[in-house]
Amino acid sequence: MRVLTDERRCVGADLGAWMAAGGGAGLERALADRGGIIPAIEAAGLRGLGGAGFATHRKWAAVAAQPGPGKWVICNGNEDEPGTFKDRFLLSRTPHQVIEGALVAALAVGAADIVLYINPREAAAVAVAREAVAQWEAHPLLARLAGALGEAPRLRVVTGSGLYIGGEETAAVASVMGGFPFPRLKPPFPAESGVGDAPTLVNNVETLAHAGHILAQGPEWYRGLGLGGAPGTKLFSLSGDVLRPGLHELPMGTTLRSLVFGHGGGVLAGRAFKAVFTGGPSNTLLTAADLDVPLDFDSLRARGSRLGTGAMIVVGEGTSILRKTAEYVAFFAANSCGQCPPCKIGTHQVSRILERVEAGAGRPGDLRALENLAGLLPGSGRCGLVDGAATVLASSLRTFRGEYERALGPSGQEDGQEDGQGDGQGDRLRGGGLRGGAP
Amino acid sequence: MSAPAAAHGIPHAAALAAWRGRAPAPPRALALPAPELLERFHPDRRPGAMVPLRVGASAGLPCRAELAALLQSDALVEDEDIAGAPLLDADVLVIGGGGAGCVAALTAARAGARVLLATKLRLGDSNTVMAEGGIQAAMGPEDSLQRHFEDTLRAGHFAADKALVAALVSDGPGVIRWLIQEGMGFDLAEGSDRMGGNLLRRKPGGATAARLLSYRDFTGLEMMRALREAVLLAPGITLLERHPALELLTDDRGRCAGAVLHELARGRPVLARAGATVLATGGAGRLHVAGFPTSNHYGATADGLVLAYRLGAALREVDSFQYHPTGIAWPPRMAGQLVSEAARASGAALVNGLGERFVDELDTRDVVAAAILREIAEGRGVARDGQAGVFLDTPGLERAKPGILGRSLVTLTHLAHRAGLDAAAEPFLVRPTLHYQNGGIAIGPDGWSGVPGLLCAGEVTGGLHGRNRMMGNALLELVAFGRRAGAAAAADARAERPRNIGLTHLADWRRALIAQGLPLARKAPLVFPPYGNFDMAKDRGRAA
Ligand SMILES: Cc1cc2nc3c(=O)[nH]c(=O)nc-3n(C[C@H](O)[C@H](O)[C@H](O)COP(=O)(O)OP(=O)(O)OC[C@H]3O[C@@H](n4cnc5c(N)ncnc54)[C@H](O)[C@@H]3O)c2cc1C
Ligand SMILES: Cc1cc2nc3c(=O)[nH]c(=O)nc-3n(C[C@H](O)[C@H](O)[C@H](O)COP(=O)(O)O)c2cc1C
Repeated sequence: MRVLTDERRCVGADLGAWMAAGGGAGLERALADRGGIIPAIEAAGLRGLGGAGFATHRKWAAVAAQPGPGKWVICNGNEDEPGTFKDRFLLSRTPHQVIEGALVAALAVGAADIVLYINPREAAAVAVAREAVAQWEAHPLLARLAGALGEAPRLRVVTGSGLYIGGEETAAVASVMGGFPFPRLKPPFPAESGVGDAPTLVNNVETLAHAGHILAQGPEWYRGLGLGGAPGTKLFSLSGDVLRPGLHELPMGTTLRSLVFGHGGGVLAGRAFKAVFTGGPSNTLLTAADLDVPLDFDSLRARGSRLGTGAMIVVGEGTSILRKTAEYVAFFAANSCGQCPPCKIGTHQVSRILERVEAGAGRPGDLRALENLAGLLPGSGRCGLVDGAATVLASSLRTFRGEYERALGPSGQEDGQEDGQGDGQGDRLRGGGLRGGAP
Repeated sequence: MSAPAAAHGIPHAAALAAWRGRAPAPPRALALPAPELLERFHPDRRPGAMVPLRVGASAGLPCRAELAALLQSDALVEDEDIAGAPLLDADVLVIGGGGAGCVAALTAARAGARVLLATKLRLGDSNTVMAEGGIQAAMGPEDSLQRHFEDTLRAGHFAADKALVAALVSDGPGVIRWLIQEGMGFDLAEGSDRMGGNLLRRKPGGATAARLLSYRDFTGLEMMRALREAVLLAPGITLLERHPALELLTDDRGRCAGAVLHELARGRPVLARAGATVLATGGAGRLHVAGFPTSNHYGATADGLVLAYRLGAALREVDSFQYHPTGIAWPPRMAGQLVSEAARASGAALVNGLGERFVDELDTRDVVAAAILREIAEGRGVARDGQAGVFLDTPGLERAKPGILGRSLVTLTHLAHRAGLDAAAEPFLVRPTLHYQNGGIAIGPDGWSGVPGLLCAGEVTGGLHGRNRMMGNALLELVAFGRRAGAAAAADARAERPRNIGLTHLADWRRALIAQGLPLARKAPLVFPPYGNFDMAKDRGRAA
């Protein structure tokens, strides 16, 4: 069953049409029972869909527990990584669904400043969201929200830098404050100290979009949407070597097989299935052995991978895992903000080696250097960027080592010591073990 | 209409006797008006010859069936094949070492670009070297750009793109000057000496003025000689011979970012990454459409059309081919080779098996070819050793203009020698040969295809000749548009380096094929004609 992508809800910026399609009910219920919001979210089992899968009610409760006023809600629509294209869909096709969820969250945590933080490269999403925000201005529901909050809510659209790193929550906070999107060390988490040091709730666009429906139709209904105990639905950004790529909203807990072979129409041209990069693409690869794994947070965790944003980049026979890995690592390297030397230097180092291996110019020792770096880099940055790069590298090395060996050729595989760079770099990196990552 | 090689007709000996007995040949009365002649006898008009394209930027466009099959096929290379492939970098990649490619490479290099010139065989193995008749340019005092423009449009049945034709004819005089500066020789008019004088001008078929400039009857060879030297001496050009392009590369914004080449010597893929790519792969004669022999060189297998189309470029007039009236029909081992139009331009008649002339030899090529096919189809052709054709009356020409064969129809005389006949004593047996693709990749006046990063020049393009090319306009085109594309490529290439190059366009392409129920089993480009017995899949295995 489709909730977020239900055609009837894809009304664009037209608030009247949204209300006619059943919109507003979630906010009504929230206003009627403010104290019941967070328990409802908890009962629904909603988790963050921006990548980390953190329990949404805990974040909301943390911000709600902070003293007000002056709190903020940031709806994170920075979405910039390869293969993810869900938030831009929601913002451009059904923005009121997102706004209503953000207003529910604002009410729950007691925040009057609500920001739709959108990637400026998604021009259509920005334009539609702006128009949608303007339409709330005179709406009676907003006046009732003002009454409950004790001040008029300030709902607005902020376009970020367009940089991938700007999607990390502390970077998003910095960006909303008008600064360069540098992530900072956590703790303190934004829930304690965010925009202007005020408590700030940062949630993904899709997470918030679900919240309104949970309020409107109840946690039971929401839990019933999923499969095998996983709650709700999930937007899967399906791409790569499948017959029908695109955005598929499916029950949480749908198997990988059903996504790829059922909804996706199978691997393109009837080829064999090789693997899936999950969004990201910063997680451990799923392979043919994982086809029957339910796609939900816990099941994927148990297999050593992660659901991430729900991006699924399918690789069929004929497509090179090595080349894809090189492409993604290059993406991470280019998007490292440069604050943490191990991340900046490490991702670049990996990217350089991958590039030359891919170009048939690999050297003896490159494989070992890559393995060393994959072991050393995790945890060495203040945000999760370097971890993602290292994870996808390590996973492809483990599962598709043959591809690396083929590209290196007979000479490149000898375990020579000529290329000390990788190892030497590793030694320096050892000192930089900074723990970070989203809550 | 029967197959072109059908052998029925008047036996050679009897036809020779008729020709001897009736010299000079009387004209045959029963002429058909051109439209009806074309409708009934031109190979492109045969029912079933054309099919609408079903996928790609020109879906719906009628296309020669043999070409459509190639255009709508799967790629030869996979993403996996290029992992570990050596990577070469350039500002501009030029694909194709014929005339257009050389001119584009020279122009781009002189504008400061680092150029990679990759070609299938050796530099100059091309249709360009085979051009005999000459090159058009409105240089004469009685001529004008306007007349050249109008003649070209008319000859192309008004299907050409006027902006392209305007660019072509106005570049004409400058192109000739440029070629002279590059060291190309041209025939001079009677009375000129080497240090000065006027270029010899003749009237090409379908023209209203004497506009065809030539170097004997091997104009293309002379042009290629000069271009080849210039390319080999140009410091900014790296030449890759025996490196056919198998697929174009894209970057993460969908721009063309170079090509996957196949190094024939080692049987392995090589990636050429470039800011701008000029496709100059020439024609398609070796597809032998409609079963015709061809005048084209071995490498003319429509590769460029296949590559560009797969990447999203639009095509035009791919249902229009030129069958040159006078290909050799006998001996069979030389079938399809061209007897220059210069013979007819100089006055040689076409004579059927009854010793009659049956067409105005200087009419447009499509009309003359259709007239020959009609004679053969209606049993008035000449049959010899299973081949059918008509006579090209070279002895009659020699009688009318003594010495002309030895003096200015050198190639023709050489061909006759190879065929084992004396052109001054015995007429050639000729029949139409697949000669030129009138259409091709749609371009703008600077050579841009619709795909960012991809330019095209020369025979691979469409739009300049409408539905019928005038003789001499192809050589002009390859220089004019080679220069335009080379300059535009050099200017564009330096804007930005391509990132994340790959074959991402293939997934969309395959989805489109599947959606149309088209088979994925056929792979293209062809690279070599089927009788070349070259198997790309096997050859790739050698790399290991
Ligand atoms: C016999 C004959 C006589 C002619 N006479 C005249 C004439 O008198 N006047 C006139 O104006 N025109 C004439 N033409 C037409 C004219 O010669 C051609 O149209 C013109 O030369 C084409 O030039 P080009 O550079 O576009 O292609 P070409 O000269 O054919 O060059 C194409 C090059 O690309 C290479 N190539 C092809 N595929 C690949 C690939 N996949 N990868 C890498 N390289 C590739 C080929 O090997 C070749 O070297 C004649 C043509 C023929 C065949
Ligand atoms: C490098 C990096 C980039 C991120 N980009 C985004 C993003 O574009 N959108 C997003 O919602 N979360 C992104 N995140 C996750 C956020 O830090 C944060 O966890 C998320 O916005 C919280 O929302 P959720 O709990 O609803 O998932 C990113 C994290 C990292 C480390």
